[in-house]
Amino acid sequence: MFSQNFLTYGLKISGEIVRDILFFPLWWYSRGLVMFFKKLTVFLSNKQKSLALIVWIKNIFRPMYGQTDWQGKLISIFMRLMQIIVRSFVMLFWVIIALIFFCVWIILPPFALYEIFFQFY
Amino acid sequence: MVMPDKKSNQFIVCPVCEGIGRNKYGISCANCGGMGSGKFYKGRFFYWGLNLSRVIIELSHLRKKIHQILNIIVYVIGLAGLLALAAWVYSVSNSADPEAFAFWREKNDLILIFWISVFADMFVIYRISEEERSQQKIMPLTYEEKNRNIALPDSWEEIRKLPGWRRIDVSKGLDVNASEAVERAFVLADRLGHKVDPLHVFIVILSDNQVAALFSRLNADGEKLAGRVKQQLERIDAVEGRTIFSGIAKEAFINSYTEALDLGQKKVMAKNFIISSMEKNDILREILYDIEIDRDKIMNVLTWFMVNEGLIASHRAYRASAAYKPGSNMDRAYTSIATPALNQIGYDLTVAAKWGRLEYCVARSEEIESIFQNFESGARGVILIGELGVGKSTIVDGVAQLMVKEDVPKIFADKRLMEVDTARLISGATPAQAEGRLMAIIDEVTRAGNIILFIDNIENLIGITSGNEESLDLSEVLAGAIERGNIYCLASATAANYTKFIEGKSLGGILKKIEIKEPVGNQAIQIVESKIGLIEGRYKVYFSYNAIEEVIKLSSRYIHDKYLPAKAIEILELVAVRVAKNKGPESLITKDDAAQIVGEITNIPVAKLTETESKNLLSLEERIHEQMIDQTTAVKMVAASLRRARAELREGKRPIANFLFLGPTGVGKTELAKTVANVYFGNEKCMIRLDMSEYQHPDSIKKMIGDAAAGITGYLTEAVRRSPFSLVLLDELEKAHPDILNVFLQVMDDGRLTDGQGRTVDFTSSIIIATSNVGAVYIQDEIFRGTSVEEIKRTLINEHLNKVLRPELINRFDGVIVFEPLSMENVVAIARLMINKIAKLLESKGIGLKVEDEGLRVLAKLGFDPKFGARPLRRLLQERVEDKIANKILSGELKRRDAVIIDRAGEVLTEKAKAI
Repeated sequence: MFSQNFLTYGLKISGEIVRDILFFPLWWYSRGLVMFFKKLTVFLSNKQKSLALIVWIKNIFRPMYGQTDWQGKLISIFMRLMQIIVRSFVMLFWVIIALIFFCVWIILPPFALYEIFFQFY
Repeated sequence: MVMPDKKSNQFIVCPVCEGIGRNKYGISCANCGGMGSGKFYKGRFFYWGLNLSRVIIELSHLRKKIHQILNIIVYVIGLAGLLALAAWVYSVSNSADPEAFAFWREKNDLILIFWISVFADMFVIYRISEEERSQQKIMPLTYEEKNRNIALPDSWEEIRKLPGWRRIDVSKGLDVNASEAVERAFVLADRLGHKVDPLHVFIVILSDNQVAALFSRLNADGEKLAGRVKQQLERIDAVEGRTIFSGIAKEAFINSYTEALDLGQKKVMAKNFIISSMEKNDILREILYDIEIDRDKIMNVLTWFMVNEGLIASHRAYRASAAYKPGSNMDRAYTSIATPALNQIGYDLTVAAKWGRLEYCVARSEEIESIFQNFESGARGVILIGELGVGKSTIVDGVAQLMVKEDVPKIFADKRLMEVDTARLISGATPAQAEGRLMAIIDEVTRAGNIILFIDNIENLIGITSGNEESLDLSEVLAGAIERGNIYCLASATAANYTKFIEGKSLGGILKKIEIKEPVGNQAIQIVESKIGLIEGRYKVYFSYNAIEEVIKLSSRYIHDKYLPAKAIEILELVAVRVAKNKGPESLITKDDAAQIVGEITNIPVAKLTETESKNLLSLEERIHEQMIDQTTAVKMVAASLRRARAELREGKRPIANFLFLGPTGVGKTELAKTVANVYFGNEKCMIRLDMSEYQHPDSIKKMIGDAAAGITGYLTEAVRRSPFSLVLLDELEKAHPDILNVFLQVMDDGRLTDGQGRTVDFTSSIIIATSNVGAVYIQDEIFRGTSVEEIKRTLINEHLNKVLRPELINRFDGVIVFEPLSMENVVAIARLMINKIAKLLESKGIGLKVEDEGLRVLAKLGFDPKFGARPLRRLLQERVEDKIANKILSGELKRRDAVIIDRAGEVLTEKAKAI
């Protein structure tokens, strides 16, 4: 009884560990990839939120500071355009960063494998 | 096979394996698929699928260890790789050529180690995120499951075919501590040769941190509790064969799971086993009942813990989202304008909320939702109406916090909530200037377009006009702006002020009314619990749950001029200060500490009965008779009702007792009332005496309950409000005007009376005794004739009393007590009591008093008049005894150590002391 239980259970444990190790590359490109992608989108949307880029674009023709005379409107459009351009650049920077990370995630395993091979040959 | 009671949370047991889940060869039962037993709950089927043995437990420990070792190896490899890379960079750092740092082109052992370690790093990421994913073990109920009836299977076969998410193995949802507890309970039962019972589980979880915290909040001694449970464990008989989980243990586990599901937990924790074990084991329940712990209390502490955890979690989420809220008066699109006038007078609640300066708002989502709904359905102004302290401002704070999180309807999105301080608006300004200020603010708000105003105590704006009578009221300026749709406005007022100042005015028509009710019961407890952390932090003490519950219970029963939760929080703070001072820091506040403070505030002895006090109560009759002769029926009735009141065996909504004393004059009606005040309330002065003959005119009601217009406070209401724990004596009730007596209908039935100022006065801690002389002659005559007291009482009520008092009033009395005329024997006893009083006075002057029995009898006979009862006796004793003694003292005939003797004829003589 004892030995039988021990055997089945011991097998189960080692099976679990083997499964963990074998399953993990698959995980990297399936559930892991999706998870990482989601995290990046959250990161980008937070950056967007703090830059309020969409708010600026939406309000491009609305005068700033309640200045509804024509001079105010003119200056406002110009100012908003400037703001949108600057903020877009910042946003672009973050998008690129995110893209780089995403690419790294994808190519990291084959690249690491390649590097290990490279060390030997 | 049809499943009985599948919807009613009942457990069903497989008839083939009888709930064990295995047949006699140890193989899974074919009928139930090894599930054995289980229950349906909200459309899912729950069962306990874990079979333990010592070996399995040991192996699972081994497994944990192996996993730990694996983790450590992976971390070490990852770290080694980084170190290897760093070492390599260091080795080439002398080179000036940046190309030299391109490690991916180098062939080097260190670099090889690094690249291998990259896989270890990736493995770490995998392990961490999979662990995160497995955190949510209990699947929350979907909307459909909560609200609709889902077809349930009718046989074990169908249950076996249910999809995995509807057929849940409870043992898979335990967190680390809980599953460890189950294993330890199993080992314990195995060692003792028992089946695993909820008792084993309970004793094991007592050492869990959270469970220990829970019992310490309930002020229970964990060690004592464990000792008692251990005693019970020893009484269980050992059984043969393998150790298994008993049926009730499985049921308890399943109930823990559904409890955790209802509480919205992610996993079953050890604390969830408490209630279920208690419900499934009668002995355990008895033990807990014995130390005043029941299911409700445990549940409320559990929710308290949940509230605190929720507070921390929501605080984190809140801080994260608050970072995106603009901190200035600008909106995100920079369309608003500067608001200097408003900034000077107002307080920006959204900015305060952004920086976490506002208090958390708990258990108020319904009220906030209704504010939002009113604005969304087109209202421009909303007024919150509720008494002081029910949490109007906290609700508005809650709105501000939601605005910071941007978890609000579109109308509120990207806006500021500005509180306008009416005091600052009005102060130091003439009405015209105030109006100017308000106009400037309204202008700014209109133009900015991103502001919602909050005006606390809006009634202050009303009645302020500039210039002559025809000019506009300040409130109408505001009303106009709201009506034109220029501004959004939130306001608050107390109910009384609303009816008095706002209703019927233009402002009242525009502002949608939302009543904020005083929170009661569990809502109040939860709100208060959410504030406890602050108080505990400030005074370094800990509240037991009972203390909180007690304060809420007592304050809602005895304090009526303030409201929950404010009054409870106020008292809890007082208790915390007191305990911190007396017991020192880190001490636990118990129910008794709380009761003591409430008692001091209200002058009501609400604390637990002490032993001497209960002895006093049990011998109440004797103690009353020490001061009062005869009238045994009356005394018995009064004493019994007082005992009921003190042991809390009465309905809480009426006065402690209402009595009507009937009888001729001088038989001891008032005397008994006085004695009761003395014995029960500890002082004769705890008696509020109203001579009802003073209330013969209907207008005199003002004298009794006060009149706001005339500025009179009521004699009765004020006295009871100050000391609610007292005896109200209504002397000669029948003489008052019938309209005035109507007031007492309510007092005697509901235990409350509203005074002229609109305050509710609580009578539930007072005793009301009315006396009357109605039918005095009749009583005397009938007693003389030898009619039984019962008979007399019946005729008295039916024929005499109902002519002067309304039947509904008579009905309200707990007892109509007929005082019998005094017999000669009684009068002698009374005379002795009176003489004893004189003796006491003389004793303080060092003079003794001796009375011959014959003499006493003579005096009693002289002083007794069947018509006037014992009253003439007092006069007689004054004339014949006290006056003479006074003369003798003044003439120097009586000195210290002398004695006064009342001889057989009732004459007063002196006995000179021996000379020394």
